[in-house]
Amino acid sequence: MSQSKQNDGGVRRRTLLKAGGAAAAVGLTGIGVSAIGEEAEAASEETSNRETVHGNCWICRASCGQEVTVEDGKAIDLTGVDGHPKASAGQGRDGTLCSKGMGQLNKTYNPNRIREPHIREDGELRAASWDEAIEYAATRLKEFREEYGSEKLLRYQGYPLAKHPWHDLVFKKLYGAPIKVGRKTTCHGPFSDSWAWMSGYGREWPDWKNSEYIIAWGRNVMECFRGQWEPKGVLDAKEKNDATLICIDPRYTKTAEAADKWLPIEPRTDGALALAMGHVIIEEGLYDEEFVGNWTHGFQSYKEAVADKTPEWAAEITDIDADVIREIAIGFATSAPQAVAFPWTGIAYQSNGFKNAQNIHALNGLVGNIDTYGGTRQWTSGFGLDDPHEKQGIDVPSNYKDKPTPEYEDYPFQRHVRNLSHNLVPQAVEKGDIKGFVNNWSQPPKSGNTRSWFEALESMELVITVDAFWTGVSKRADVVFPGASQLEQPFLKSGGDSSYSKNGWITGSKAAVEPVGNCKPDYKLYKALAEEMGWGEYFPWDSGAEYYDSQLDAIGLSFDELSEKSYEIVSDVPYKQYEDGGFDTVNGKFNFDLDVKPEYKALADDIGVSTAPEWHPPDDDLFGETTNEEYPLLFTDLFVEQFSRGHCQAISQSREAYAERFGHEDKDYRGNYLHINPKDAAERGIEDGDWIRVTSADDEIELMANLWEGVRPGWVGTENGFGVGSDHPDEEGANSMILNKERHVEPTTGMTARNHPVEVERLGGEPQ
Amino acid sequence: MTEQWGFYFDADKCIGCHACTVACRVRNDVDADGAKWRRIIHAENGTFPDYEQVSVSISCMHCEDPPCRTVCPTGAIEKREEDGIVTVNQEKCIGCHYCAWACPYGAPKFDGDNKMQKCHLCLGEGAGDGHGKPAKAKEENGGTKPACVENCVGDAIKAGPMDELMKDVASDAVGKAAGRKGNIIVEASGAEVTFESESD
Repeated sequence: MSQSKQNDGGVRRRTLLKAGGAAAAVGLTGIGVSAIGEEAEAASEETSNRETVHGNCWICRASCGQEVTVEDGKAIDLTGVDGHPKASAGQGRDGTLCSKGMGQLNKTYNPNRIREPHIREDGELRAASWDEAIEYAATRLKEFREEYGSEKLLRYQGYPLAKHPWHDLVFKKLYGAPIKVGRKTTCHGPFSDSWAWMSGYGREWPDWKNSEYIIAWGRNVMECFRGQWEPKGVLDAKEKNDATLICIDPRYTKTAEAADKWLPIEPRTDGALALAMGHVIIEEGLYDEEFVGNWTHGFQSYKEAVADKTPEWAAEITDIDADVIREIAIGFATSAPQAVAFPWTGIAYQSNGFKNAQNIHALNGLVGNIDTYGGTRQWTSGFGLDDPHEKQGIDVPSNYKDKPTPEYEDYPFQRHVRNLSHNLVPQAVEKGDIKGFVNNWSQPPKSGNTRSWFEALESMELVITVDAFWTGVSKRADVVFPGASQLEQPFLKSGGDSSYSKNGWITGSKAAVEPVGNCKPDYKLYKALAEEMGWGEYFPWDSGAEYYDSQLDAIGLSFDELSEKSYEIVSDVPYKQYEDGGFDTVNGKFNFDLDVKPEYKALADDIGVSTAPEWHPPDDDLFGETTNEEYPLLFTDLFVEQFSRGHCQAISQSREAYAERFGHEDKDYRGNYLHINPKDAAERGIEDGDWIRVTSADDEIELMANLWEGVRPGWVGTENGFGVGSDHPDEEGANSMILNKERHVEPTTGMTARNHPVEVERLGGEPQ
Repeated sequence: MTEQWGFYFDADKCIGCHACTVACRVRNDVDADGAKWRRIIHAENGTFPDYEQVSVSISCMHCEDPPCRTVCPTGAIEKREEDGIVTVNQEKCIGCHYCAWACPYGAPKFDGDNKMQKCHLCLGEGAGDGHGKPAKAKEENGGTKPACVENCVGDAIKAGPMDELMKDVASDAVGKAAGRKGNIIVEASGAEVTFESESD
């Protein structure tokens, strides 16, 4: 047990004992205050060296507008921006940040941050100056290209701040590295591909606040939201529309707590439930005949697919009462189009998740709630920004084009997935098709096939990463650039999904504070590298802020103005955009049946599935391994409010909040917990807080048990992003992806599949 | 007393996210492993599948007649005349923990210096701050919202003079509030909540 006592990041100011930031905010926004109380007077005397500036939270990449209190150049407090499309429930509403967003100061001022560039010399990483590190990286990149070709360099982009274009500009367009592993094969493929092929929009997002019937389906919206507007929208829907919230999840989440009904479904049987709901809706004549008739394809095959899928049939499979299935099917259909059935990782993590997601989306099509008021929404910003290169007459080459890429045929998805899937990267490295890797803040060893990834990183010829913490990647890198945190960089992002249901928005902010140590904002880092590589002409701007300023000309705003406002509502985006030109699918229709998608048709024939909605149980072959006598429990990894995708374990405030969330804050341990039903625990002699081992057919992990009546017997799970390779300062807890191996992929999209049969045993009363 | 400030908490709007507990620590500069002035209790009831939780965010209740003050041997704890906020003068605190034993809500906390610290409704920023500060003012009068209130995702926590908070709430919640020692109004359905103090 090596829990270290740390200073929380040097925001020490107890000697100053200042009053709140509101007085400074009042001064800045120029709101007249006639009756300033003593508290305010006292505050203004003490806070003259304070200012309130804006930022945009990137902890979970939702861009929530931040109001940051800065004192003597140091950020000391923050909260959300009122009325912000992401941080608030809408115009005139209070802005807030979530618990992990509130951990931002602890990220920026974290004592464990990498503050200097590092390069590998004689096998060891050592600190270097920027000049030395940039020169070293450029030399290594040139040598790599000469020896192996730029096509052997993998772009594992991660989450550059605001999804800025400079990482791809350098490595894709200029260096010419064609292969990228994106989030589709670690996060959302089965859901986003099935939905994209059905309705032309990969990740429809609900118009939460206007909904009357919300089915959160393997989607913990009250905890694992992407922006504050989501839980706020659900609360609004409950309060203002008296909306019904249904939570389908084998564990009792905070969404279950807020829900009218919690349905702890037998894991991986969601597709059967969806088909039975379709059966009821058609049988009762509650579907949207106009929408189905005019805008869909394949209704007949869908109808046939659900003809014998009665609620009684599904009840046997799902462990949900037939009457309840009828009730939610009818409730959903009668509330439509102000209704939404919305899945996420609970479905996407399943090996049979593609079909399950297809069956769920068929329900949205059936009741005609696609892109409607209170239904799903095909969000778009509705406006574009200027291309700064084009404006300056700079012709950017696309050197990645026409580069040879490997073709594998080991898995069904490789028929159509052009880039490598996450789990297959180690194999590509072994075969010599990938020999290097560039990365920006991502941590692949926590996303699947972990042990092989570690080996792959070690055997690569060149690993370059931008990061703030020592992780399984940065420790193995040849060059580590100390990236600036969000508060230390300019930010610009536009989009649609937000609390403003019918508007596109833009949000942006200047750097709130100077970078700590020798860290550099991304733009300056990539510019320096580009100049050293001989591509300085493509980075003519002095700063990221200047680049953003040029982009903003398109909407008549300067970056300074936007930063002062935090956000701007720019465009109107109507509902039912499909009415103007059809859906963005191969045939312009909403497709119940995917026979119109040639790639999927071929793949479906290959693996013997229907192109129409269909129930596919786990089968030990392609569609998920099943539990047995030796491994009787089903394990998966989970999200929780206090962490974002396993990137916040470096933040002590987040670790603490997580421990409090599960009532273990009095223990020293700050790793993750295995949630297990007390019945399953009792059979194994396990008590709450015991140290346990989880064993699968392939591997094992050790962590602390959290006994919880809120999880389904037979099912266990833990939060992702802890243990070996994580950015947790002590690598405490278990890296759940140790159990995941190359073959654990969803066959249609190649996404890391994350349900593993396991056994659990007690090791002792304390972490060992 | 001129005015009595207190909290309002609506469990139906609390999403149990801990943004309030972290906001409290950020504003007051409390380390993650430091004293927990504000906590969330995830109270639970039942067994699978008939199981439910309710999330309750609690801190010092700024009691009418604070038991912590009654037992404090040095008179370090003050029930302020001007706003009813209970503050501690850390210079007088001898670290005996009597207050923590007496408090039914587990509000008084101690850290490395063994001086009592707890919620002061963001009268100031930091442990021991708040003592001797001017009267709490409402935001429209230039005062500051407590960090937990300012950053509550579901608008579940409010703070203000009790008579004003009472106006907006259901009558049964007012009745329950009257029966409590603390100045807090709680609206909640579902699981029973128990508070732990050092004496438990």
